[in-house]
Amino acid sequence: MAGLAPRVDYLAGFSFPVGGLAAGKPRVLRLGAEILLSTGRELVYVFDSGGRQLTAVYRFPGQVWHLEVLALRRMLFVLCAWSGVYCLSLDQAGRSVSQSERDEEDSEPPAPVIPVDPDACVLPDATLRAFTVLDGALVTLAQGTAQWKLQLFECPGPGQARPLGKTGEVELSASTPPAGGPGKPEAPRFLPVLCCVSPPGCGASHGLQRGPRGFVLEGALFGLLFGMDATLLESPVVLCGLPDGQLCCVILKTLVTCSSAPGDPKALVRTLHHLEEPVIFIGALRTEPLPEDGEDTRCDCLVALGHRGRTLAVKASRDGAGSPVPELREYCLPGPVLCAACGRGGRVYHSTPTSLCLVDLARGSAPWLGEEADVPAAGLGGLPSLLCPANLSICSVVTLTVSPRPPGGGTELLALSARGRLLTCHLEQSPEAPWPSRGTTMDTGRKIKDLLCSISTISERASSLRRAVEQRDQALTRLNEALNVSCALLSRREGPRPISCTTTTAWGRRELRDVLTATCLLESSGGPRLGRGWVLCVQVLPGARAPDPEAAGPAMTYTVPVDQLGPGGRREVTLALGPGEDGVLDLPVTVCCALFCSLQEALGGALAPSGSFGDASRDEDRPDTLPGPGGICLPLSEHTVDLLQGLRFPGLAVPPAQASGPSGPAPDPVDTFLEACCRPAGPEPPRATYLPPSMAAITVSAELLRAAWGGRFSGTSLSCATLQWLLAENASVDAVRARALSSIEGVAPDGTDVRLTVHEVAVADVCPTGPLQAAEIQVQSCSLASVCGVHGAVLRRMQRVVEEQAARGSSPPDLRMQHLHQTQASHEALLREVRMLRDQLCEEDGAGSRAATATERLLRVYRQLRSPGLLLL
Amino acid sequence: MSHQIPLSSSVPQVNCLDLWRAENDRLVRQAKVAQDSDLSLRRQQLAQDSLEGFRGLLHSLLGLPAAVLVLPLELTVICNFTTLRVSLAQGFTEDQAQDIQHGLERVLETQKQLGPRLEGGLMELWNSVLHVSSLPPELLPALHHLAGLQAALWLSTDRLGDLTLLLQTLNGSQSEASGDLLLLLKTWNPPAKASDDPLTLQDAQRLRDVLLTASAFRQGLQELTTGSLPRALSSLYEAASGLCPRPVLVQVYTALGTCLRKMGSPQRALLYLVAALKGESICGPPLLEASRLYRQLGNTAAELESLELLVEALNVIPSSEVPHFLIEVELLLPRPDPASPLHCGTLSQVKYLLASRCLQMGRAEDAVEHYLDLLALLLDGSEPKFSPPTCPPGPCMPEVFLEAAAALIQAGRAQDALTVCEELLSRTSSLLPKMPQPWKDARKGTKESPQCPSWVSATYLLQGQAWVQLGDQKQAISEFSRCLELLFRATPKDKEQGPASNCEQGYTSDVELQQLRAAALISRGLEWGASGQDTKALQDFLLSVQVYPGNGDASFHLLQTLKRLDRRDEATALWQRLEAQTKLPQENATWSLPLYLETCLSWIRPPDREALLEEFGTSLQEPCDL
Repeated sequence: MAGLAPRVDYLAGFSFPVGGLAAGKPRVLRLGAEILLSTGRELVYVFDSGGRQLTAVYRFPGQVWHLEVLALRRMLFVLCAWSGVYCLSLDQAGRSVSQSERDEEDSEPPAPVIPVDPDACVLPDATLRAFTVLDGALVTLAQGTAQWKLQLFECPGPGQARPLGKTGEVELSASTPPAGGPGKPEAPRFLPVLCCVSPPGCGASHGLQRGPRGFVLEGALFGLLFGMDATLLESPVVLCGLPDGQLCCVILKTLVTCSSAPGDPKALVRTLHHLEEPVIFIGALRTEPLPEDGEDTRCDCLVALGHRGRTLAVKASRDGAGSPVPELREYCLPGPVLCAACGRGGRVYHSTPTSLCLVDLARGSAPWLGEEADVPAAGLGGLPSLLCPANLSICSVVTLTVSPRPPGGGTELLALSARGRLLTCHLEQSPEAPWPSRGTTMDTGRKIKDLLCSISTISERASSLRRAVEQRDQALTRLNEALNVSCALLSRREGPRPISCTTTTAWGRRELRDVLTATCLLESSGGPRLGRGWVLCVQVLPGARAPDPEAAGPAMTYTVPVDQLGPGGRREVTLALGPGEDGVLDLPVTVCCALFCSLQEALGGALAPSGSFGDASRDEDRPDTLPGPGGICLPLSEHTVDLLQGLRFPGLAVPPAQASGPSGPAPDPVDTFLEACCRPAGPEPPRATYLPPSMAAITVSAELLRAAWGGRFSGTSLSCATLQWLLAENASVDAVRARALSSIEGVAPDGTDVRLTVHEVAVADVCPTGPLQAAEIQVQSCSLASVCGVHGAVLRRMQRVVEEQAARGSSPPDLRMQHLHQTQASHEALLREVRMLRDQLCEEDGAGSRAATATERLLRVYRQLRSPGLLLL
Repeated sequence: MSHQIPLSSSVPQVNCLDLWRAENDRLVRQAKVAQDSDLSLRRQQLAQDSLEGFRGLLHSLLGLPAAVLVLPLELTVICNFTTLRVSLAQGFTEDQAQDIQHGLERVLETQKQLGPRLEGGLMELWNSVLHVSSLPPELLPALHHLAGLQAALWLSTDRLGDLTLLLQTLNGSQSEASGDLLLLLKTWNPPAKASDDPLTLQDAQRLRDVLLTASAFRQGLQELTTGSLPRALSSLYEAASGLCPRPVLVQVYTALGTCLRKMGSPQRALLYLVAALKGESICGPPLLEASRLYRQLGNTAAELESLELLVEALNVIPSSEVPHFLIEVELLLPRPDPASPLHCGTLSQVKYLLASRCLQMGRAEDAVEHYLDLLALLLDGSEPKFSPPTCPPGPCMPEVFLEAAAALIQAGRAQDALTVCEELLSRTSSLLPKMPQPWKDARKGTKESPQCPSWVSATYLLQGQAWVQLGDQKQAISEFSRCLELLFRATPKDKEQGPASNCEQGYTSDVELQQLRAAALISRGLEWGASGQDTKALQDFLLSVQVYPGNGDASFHLLQTLKRLDRRDEATALWQRLEAQTKLPQENATWSLPLYLETCLSWIRPPDREALLEEFGTSLQEPCDL
């Protein structure tokens, strides 16, 4: 395989972003001794390969997406992102523009940076995505909302003042996702590819000549692909490779622009093939030697490469009866393909992040593999059934071009690597022949230089491989860790878990506003350590956990990376629950904590095929090769934050932040401004303060409470203990305990006052054995919403207590059934009324006077249900 | 592009609203300056700048919560942005619908009504916006303007149901019963703008007028294609009476001409066509319509003259109209399809029409001239802007070559016809099957022979005819034989795989193949006859009668040959059959044969059938009488 190593020559280095150049937009072209190059940024460099120096740098107003040059007229055409096609003459532009401006951020170009005048824009159009130049015409491809539009213009000259005459257009039927919103769309990941092919007769006498990137196809192949009419007209054809994989062709001479006879896309555009992956390259080459010793220019094979390596080759052959038929083959080359080029002798060069490969469509294998290679022999003149790529040991080439006729024969490739290096790569015509051993000093010097160059490319490659191995090791370690953690958390269902998460709430002040914050504390009490790749996901769901999971509104998920949590380590996450900018805090909310290990994160770049270069290209390939957004999710805890935890007690004056009083959330300054603009400051809308305070009550038997408390609160009166138990998760519980309160006044998050009172009562007529000791919990507020919220929170606690008691199997006390029946009957009557009213409300859709009375009645029923409230035993 | 609003502190009294409004007014003025600019590149750049400016301004406005005070300005900016964008792109896209939707959602946002109605689509959204009871009156002008743009969008995408609903809602409930779009548009009265409102590129009143004309015209065209002519006529009158730029008026008049021609009043149609042609710039559709009218009237000279004028008109490159940065009637019209009266084809298509009409009408000299012009136009390709008549209904390229060759032979230029045929064959040689050698064929036996498209055999047929004209019987016979060899190998309706164009699918019809075979056999028979080999001639004529019994010509030639060979019994039998046939009502089979085949068949037609039959009849009766 030693013969595979090409002679690599390093010409120059250009700046590149962190992570290397991304493929798709950089271009390199050869124009005689000059090399034109763009790296996908605003600059186009002109490099003199003889003198090995930059001769000019042009700065364009936008990112350069495509370059083409007309060699004879020395005209440069450039497609700028979101701006259009620029045209300038390479001879004039350098001289006419004063060489004043020096580029600061790019320190390397010694040549003057020539800013390109906006007037050089010959075709302003923000939707252009690709173009190609023929000698007499400019073909552009613009992206519409739902389709691509191919347009044909007369070829411009530099400094053209009038807009280009449009000579034809047609829409290609392909769907592309619409760009949403009035904002600027994102740069497309893949640009379409255009390629111009002509029939053999299309000579210099015709207006539409082939351009710099055009190919002349053999008559039979041309006719088979594009039809009899195109052949008879000897019309050039533009092939479009679209990012959705479609490969279609348009016969240029059939395009029209006449408004009274628009071209029918069905008749003008023909889809040749669908690669089902973005088309990266279209080209043509000669696989068979010409019978006469002529020029190697008539191609007999059309090639298209897709991003993931799917390759199409089409050739003309004849069937058994002698009729010409197209022979079409698909191959799979190693992907992802960054760029490709067609060389002479049936060779296709294509670059992947790890290597530059060469396939030979004439023979199927690389020429050096020779006879011993296990390649099935192709039919006579047909396409090989299998392609064996040969590795040229150059990695991450982002753009590639084959020099037309290098001095000294052989093949010369011009390549730009992701690290911004401009390389030439010489492949010998007959690699079997050893390098010339006639040792003149010049030869030796040359040889040493070549050797040094190849050492540098090999070392670049070796380091990339080493990095890939390291990444793989790390990924395995992380996977192992992840599995250990999962086992430890999932296997131990009872008892304390090695990793736990607790949630507490408190009021705080943030950005001039009082907010309720939840603090999740992640603790590791031994066991495995959490490494990179683990994140703590905190999900805030509206509503309490159990009752109605599907009625929940939008959930918010916060993910916090847990970076290295060893045994005994703790990590605290505080997040604001609200009130938000609208001043509303809807309690209860449920805070769910879970640990998540993303496989993508854990495996890192180890699965990406490019171990070798930067993040930009890896990001690009990720969707194709990585296992999607999958991962391991381990639920840790679930905590419901209700109104009892959200109450503030300014009367206790414990939190110092309450100094400003129970004001609502401070308004946004811009809101204030706009409000001020909208209406002259008027009186506040009257609050509903005059309404009688609503009340709800629950009575709980002391026995039930005591059983739930266990040994706690011993020595405290029942009423004080009940209040402390209710406010156990509130930050003010210490003050309540210290003052031994049985009644307390607080402020709900919306600013309304809430009063919580606990009385010790004796319930007389329930038990046959005598009066029952019980605690009556009263909730009182002028805001019905607050009453409901607090009442709901109390009820949820009671429900939990009752469930726990039932689980322990304790029996309820003796009850007088008659009383129970009575209660049930009265409540059922109320329930019926509620149902009726609700139906009535639904029918009327919330408007009208009847609805108002219905609402009134519902409210009354609610009050009857709540006070005197539920009795729990 | 980041768009920054200078919140400078030097002028403390200025508020954002005024700044934004000033920015809007500046951008509108800039677009108007661009409109008047002479340099078209500069113009386009200025307009593009304004568009980006509006985009940025809209972006800034959307950054804040919706407020009633700012909304009129915001909606106006959306209207200006949409108008400029549509006129720059020369058409509506899905983006505009989204912009409008954003605007409506913002309105609902201020009314606190943005709820579950979002999924109902744009019409639903309009309904909820316009039914908001407390809609601030200062919003109404901008909302109506936006509704006008929505109407234009729906008109251009043919969503007339939604459009009608929208207009009914805009007009209020009193006209709800009427579903007539034009009536609704006429009654819609968008509230006038106050003098201190932000500037707009186009006001709602004008937009309504444009909508009225465009929808009347669209309706008329549609009724014209569906054939309800009286209604089409009234709709088109409506369109012509409205606000109409000159190019649109020409189109309306052309459509009126078509309508009246179909209704059978050619004189009135002619009046409208003349009116359409009176403008300073001559355009195609009325001329094409005039040629159709003259063809219907049977005035060939006038028909061809108008076609020639049309060719001249299409030769003139139209001075590109400077589009205004407004929604105009042209933007709202459907693209003309070939069935539409506004479709006049390209130069090459018209040239082809002219040439083939000349050939059909027997003006061979003119036909030759036009065909050669056409071929030069298509093949030289010095100008890429000519579309060949390749659209599926038209003939394909080989047929154009064949018709040119037929015209040349008809005009007595056989040598030139041979050149055209050779050119055709040489250009396509790489795509034609290799001719199998007879000995190989015999060896392979079962193997299928390659198929050739019908036009290849037709080329040989025409080449043979050219040799006939040149007097070279040997060459002619050999060409006819080649033609027959190909023809008898072919099977009709053989859809070959591969590029799907008319001329590459083998034979289009059975009849065509049979006619071609008959024509080739008769041609060869005639040549055999002329060289005195009557038995061979007899064989060919007999075969041709078998191949296509419907072709009377073959029988006549057969009869003549039989007579010449003095085979009286057979001749008598044939004569009797022919006599019986002529007495039967002639079923005029109107097969639409290719024009070149029709022309070729006309050459081998016996000169006077009736006379021949009569003469033969008398010659038969004479011996009987004896």
